[in-house]
Amino acid sequence: KKATKKKDKMSNLVEEYFEAHSTSKVLTSDRTLQKLRKRRLNQQTLHDLLEKSPLAYAAEIEELNQQYESLFSKWMLQLHLGFNIVLYGLGSKHDLLEKFRISMLQDTVHLVVNGYFPSITVRSILNSITEEVLDHIGTFRSPLDQLEFIIKRFKEDSSLELYVLIHNLDSQMLRGERSQQILAQLSSLPSVYLIASIDHINAPLMWDQAKQSLYNWLWYETTTFSPYMEETSYENSLLVQQSGSLALSSLMHVLRSLTLNARGIFRLLAQYQLENKDNPSYPGLSFQDFYQQCREAFLVNSDLTLRAQLTEFRDHKLIRTKRGADGVEYLLIPVDDSTLTDFLEKEDEDV
Amino acid sequence: QQIEEDLNKQLFDNLVSFLRRSHSEFQEKTTEWNCRMKSREIPTAALVLGVNVTDHDLTFKSLSEVLQNRVTPYVALLQAKDCPGIKNLMQKLLGQLMNCYVDVDSEEDDYVQTSQNRIRCSMTSLITWYESVTKKTDFETPSKKRTSSRHWQSPPVVVIFKDMESFTTKVLQDFIVISSQHIHELPLVLVFGIATSPMIIHGLLPHSVSSLLCIELFQSLSCKEHLSTIIDKVLLTTQFPLKLSEKVLQVLINIFLYHDFSVQNFIKGFQLCIVEHFYTQPLSVLCCHQEEVKKRINSLSHNQCENIRRLPSFRRYVENQTSEKQIALLTTDGFLKETVQKLLEDLNVYHENYFPVLRCLHVFTSSLPKYPLGKQIRELHCACLENRVWETEEYESFLQLARMLNKCDLVTMLQKCVEILVSSPGKEFDKTVEKLKEFLTQFQKLEAEACQERDESVSSQKELQKKTDLYHLQKTLLELKESRRSKKLTKFEMLRFEVVDYIDSVVRNYLVPADHKTLHEIVYFNTASVLREHLNAAPRVALHTALNNPYSYLKSQALRSDGGSISNKAPDICIVYKLHLECGRLINLVDWLEAFSTVVTAVEGPNADAPSSDQVDDVIHARFIRAVSELELLGFIKPSKQKTDHVARLTWGGC
Repeated sequence: KKATKKKDKMSNLVEEYFEAHSTSKVLTSDRTLQKLRKRRLNQQTLHDLLEKSPLAYAAEIEELNQQYESLFSKWMLQLHLGFNIVLYGLGSKHDLLEKFRISMLQDTVHLVVNGYFPSITVRSILNSITEEVLDHIGTFRSPLDQLEFIIKRFKEDSSLELYVLIHNLDSQMLRGERSQQILAQLSSLPSVYLIASIDHINAPLMWDQAKQSLYNWLWYETTTFSPYMEETSYENSLLVQQSGSLALSSLMHVLRSLTLNARGIFRLLAQYQLENKDNPSYPGLSFQDFYQQCREAFLVNSDLTLRAQLTEFRDHKLIRTKRGADGVEYLLIPVDDSTLTDFLEKEDEDV
Repeated sequence: QQIEEDLNKQLFDNLVSFLRRSHSEFQEKTTEWNCRMKSREIPTAALVLGVNVTDHDLTFKSLSEVLQNRVTPYVALLQAKDCPGIKNLMQKLLGQLMNCYVDVDSEEDDYVQTSQNRIRCSMTSLITWYESVTKKTDFETPSKKRTSSRHWQSPPVVVIFKDMESFTTKVLQDFIVISSQHIHELPLVLVFGIATSPMIIHGLLPHSVSSLLCIELFQSLSCKEHLSTIIDKVLLTTQFPLKLSEKVLQVLINIFLYHDFSVQNFIKGFQLCIVEHFYTQPLSVLCCHQEEVKKRINSLSHNQCENIRRLPSFRRYVENQTSEKQIALLTTDGFLKETVQKLLEDLNVYHENYFPVLRCLHVFTSSLPKYPLGKQIRELHCACLENRVWETEEYESFLQLARMLNKCDLVTMLQKCVEILVSSPGKEFDKTVEKLKEFLTQFQKLEAEACQERDESVSSQKELQKKTDLYHLQKTLLELKESRRSKKLTKFEMLRFEVVDYIDSVVRNYLVPADHKTLHEIVYFNTASVLREHLNAAPRVALHTALNNPYSYLKSQALRSDGGSISNKAPDICIVYKLHLECGRLINLVDWLEAFSTVVTAVEGPNADAPSSDQVDDVIHARFIRAVSELELLGFIKPSKQKTDHVARLTWGGC
């Protein structure tokens, strides 16, 4: 009876999956954030706003943390017995690990790795071990060599002990197969004690049996509910303003400083692009057509002036040129359509 | 902690030595074969090792040790992860071989030479490398010949590929082709460690390459056999004071059988049990060998005595005592200590009786068809620990089967069991009960009778053949009938023997530990949940419950709600998560934000009169952003390019 129930549940899951992926057409509304008439927040204001809003259930979270802190001495014992500890669960485990570091590892050699930091690499971890822990100056050809050196040193000198704390072992930079392999081998050294935290739901997928046995994990559930402040500050969210893309304000700013004719040229291009926005195979406006249109509107008088103008636009990253299949140059404005519409509306107001 | 480590060590040594032993036979075969092989092709041994990759390290390590000890070959171990290209492979191989020389010969100047060689090898570019390697092999060969002339006539160089499956085909092929060209000067022997099946060799290597090899297959013991022998040797002896309860053992075996087949992980689990037991149970100090118990009991503090009094099994014991004894037990520490010592001795005696009888029963049950009580001794062990064995249906059917199976071969089988038992009490335990001896004589008597019986029947049959007249025939038939009846009686006797045997031994010795033995908490580790949590965790389930039902972690009354509905008092991320569960594959961010703000303002509406709606809006917006990016970090959603301002869901269903 139990088996059939389980099977039912199983097939349900499968059906749900296919249901979710059966239709390529997705029924969602077409509203976009642009229409929301709301300025996008940038990183700094977001941070400030969040500072203002109080954290809910602080007392309960504190209690949870207290509970986990009582495990610290046990963790130490288990680390010394050759296990490594991995923490999972909802909520940032950054503070917890930090507390562990302060209370237990004060007078030992330890290394903290912020996995969520976007530019961290295994090489930098290994470097900090060789340079600061082992006092070895010199370079290695490959991380494997470096690892070998570290292993040799640790095997020779049994008095060396190293605690490694890794926040977010499953982060973008460290989740690769090779880096995991190296970390696993490092953690399998008897005098290296590893304590790490994972967050991603599919994090255990990165370890195969061999790595798992090297890591020798003991799993601990530490659901803290505390917000991922540090971790998400590097996460580029859709809702936060991106500095890389062109914003409306900067577009306006640049164009204000141009001549009337130049603005006209840009307007022409923008209008043409908006007219063709529903056409997915629209390659952009070819230079010849564009020249023709500009001439008709009395915006330029020669090929050369238009080229000079376009060069200026390109320098300001207002347009992009792309060579099509037939060798003709096509012009595109690398700004999303809604911003462009806004821009044209603003222009109309000005004129 | 000291004791603990000692115990750990002891256990580990035992396990390792055991593993060694189990491999040694197989290794010897390989070694012998290695010595023998000397042909034009590269001799290759393919070891089929099974999927438990984690255990292979030990096998290979001991294999190379064995090979080195016989002085014949120099051994290099190669792993796939060290050899992404042929260059790394050669580098690694040369380095290891040179080190092997150094290890075996321990000559100083050799070492300097090797380090130079390695550097030179690594620095030569890929193109010039081929030439240099041939030169090096040339250079290496005389030196080897030179050393070999001292030891042996040209010992082979053994190269072990630990994980055949994960090597790149190209590298492996190149290596084989290259080494096959130098086989005259450098007698190579390859050993492949194969996890899946020998078909992989033909899958990986084309015919032109595999024709250069002369392959012989070797099969290693299956991991299941390893497990049963480990359980047999470690758990089912009185040597180790710590025992596992049924549930814990079941969890460990399940992880083994349903997840990874790795003996290493089983050992790890067992180790965790030991740590956990000695860490959590304050009375585990008493979990040691009989000789030490007395010393430790005498050094118990008052608090520890109180702990003993608090044990549920001890309470049960106290309740069954007379009242003045009860008072003495509960108040005087000295008296308590005496009793505890006695009880622990009882426990020890119980174990000493338990295991041989368990084995005895196993011999009986494992020879029956259909194995009502399980084929392996661990199953029997579990069944005995779980319940009173004689109350179970399986035991009943076992008895029935045993009654039906009364033939002559059963007698011989019984005799075999007896032999095993004779050897076991003499060697391992000083049996406190002289029961086995008694059984023995009974069995012997039985056997003698059976022999006699057989003789009789044979002779009668001979008579039957001789005399053919009617009267005699009738007479002999009558005799036969009578003898058959008497035979029935002896059969019945045998049955009775068995029944007596079982009822006696089982009822006396197979009692459920938790049920009957006082102070079993000291010796048995029985929190299976801890083990499951730490070894076989389910992070996804934890995340789901935390997001779906935050009350289970944050014990706040406000969060208590029925499942399904979205509570507006939950933490932001939980609200966002619940809203996201209602969506299909793609989620519109605007709608999501709006739904979120409706839910959240429903909370804030009554108590705050919205100081300025814009301000509140911004804060809500910010909170939404934070929650969404947290979900992204957790891997529930990812940004999608399919439609503007949409995110794609990566999970499906109600999670």
